[in-house]
Parts: sequence; C-alpha cells; structure tokens
Amino acid sequence: MRGSDVPGSQVPARGSMEAMELSHRLISIHNFSEKISERLVHFHVMSLQDCFFLWVGSSASLCSLAVAMCSRFDSMPLSSMILGDKSDTTSSSFAQRLSKRTKKQVFASINIPCNDSQLMLLVEKRIKEEMESFPEKF
Amino acid sequence: MSQHAPPHAPLTRQSPNVMMNTPGMEVKPAVVSKQAEEVIHGVVTQVVCSAFTDHILVVVTQYGKIGTLVSVTPNMVTGDLERPTLTTKVLLGCDEPVVHVCAKNLVSFVSQESKNKPVLLGLALKDKSVDCVTAVKEVIKRCQVW
Repeated sequence: MRGSDVPGSQVPARGSMEAMELSHRLISIHNFSEKISERLVHFHVMSLQDCFFLWVGSSASLCSLAVAMCSRFDSMPLSSMILGDKSDTTSSSFAQRLSKRTKKQVFASINIPCNDSQLMLLVEKRIKEEMESFPEKF
Repeated sequence: MSQHAPPHAPLTRQSPNVMMNTPGMEVKPAVVSKQAEEVIHGVVTQVVCSAFTDHILVVVTQYGKIGTLVSVTPNMVTGDLERPTLTTKVLLGCDEPVVHVCAKNLVSFVSQESKNKPVLLGLALKDKSVDCVTAVKEVIKRCQVW
C-alpha cells in the first residue's frame, strides 16, 4: 500500500510487495525540462509495459494526443489522433517516429506552436538525447 | 544563486525559486503526477494521476499498459446549479457498456473535485467486478493531484 509524490526520477521501492511476483514492470515517471530557442520546454514521460506516454509543452495543457504502433503490414508505424485538432499532425508524426525508433506503442502529446519547425527539430533532438541517456525511462 | 546557474544562462530571466541548486537545467516539473499501487483480489493494480491545466489523466492498470482510453467530460450548461452530468466516450479500444460504467464509477468524483475538468482515463482491468472498481477508486483517491 503506497501513495506518494513522484519525484520523477526513480521507480518506486518495492516495500511490502517484495514477495509479489510481478508479471509486468512498474510504471515509471520521468520529468525533464530544457530551454530551447529561448523557450522553456517541459517533458513528461510515463513508461509502462511495452508502451509509453510522452507529453511535451511550455504550459501544462493537454490539447492533443496521438497514438502510434508498429504493425507487421507496414514498415512505418500506424498513427492516429485521439484528442484535439486532427489537422495538426505534429503529435501523430512524433508518435509515429518514436514508435518506429522504440518499437513500442507510443502516446504523444506535443503542446507547442507547430509553426516553428526549428523548435520542433530541437525538441525531437532533445528527446532522442534523453532516450539515449535514460533508455529505461521510455 | 548565481554560482549554481549555468554560465551560458542569462541570469535576469531566471526566477530563483524555480531553479534548484542541482547542475544543469533542473526545473520544477510542469505536470504534477502521483502514483500508487495495491494488490486487489490478488492482482497488482497500478494507478497514476497527472494534472494538466485542461485535463486530468488517470491511468488504472492491471496489465501494466494504458489499455482502453476513455474521455469523461462534464456537460456544462451555463446557469446550471446542479452537478453536471458526464459523457463517456471511448477514444481508443474496446467500446462496450461495461467500460463506460467503470469509467463513470471510477472518475466522476475526479471531475467533480477538480472544478469539472474533463478526465482522460486509461483503463486496463482484469477484474471489472463492483468490489474491484470500489477498491480501485480508493487508490485513485490517494493519488489526488487536482
């Protein structure tokens, strides 16, 4: 039994549940921030069994959400918008690329103005760096 | 404070209370989240609640995955003094009546307590019995981020 603040950097300790056989991994939450093109961008990653949720934004809003997953019919993962403006493909293309990279199901929510393509590239670069440094967090 | 700031960062732009004295760019996370786990009828159940400005995200899982995504949205009518009714919609996954029932039971109170914010629920339950749903609701209460 536990309910605690998540500092974002570690998987919770096992405590009283040590004896329990876990068939799946514990959910891990990872937060980081970076100043990109004079703008503070926050990242929030919730990693689950064979899938993860990635949120990126300057303020804590959840305006769009897309999902992507690999299929055996196509080398490019399938992606679909499940929340927000369907004409804004930022989140779905992000989800698609991250899914291709990780082979996992990816939920992505990108909440920064999409007119700045330079910013988008830097955001994606930052995510890749974090994935290389902390692969267990994704 | 200045000795902790990275040398390239313009000092005037930083508010001291958001900078922590750890190296690099450590800022208070924008998204507040809490998580809990409990064994309900022998099944490990994990709950994560995350607060966004326009949504509360609740993940309830016994499979370790996000599972079915359901949006639970209050029907706001201006001048309505009573509690708003809630609309459930399955955004991804199996759209069957029991999913709507579980979603409404589990997170109606989250929407009400968070000033009628819409709730996004990721639901992956092995056991959808009344007892289990009631127990899961108690775990969600312990992860209050709203």
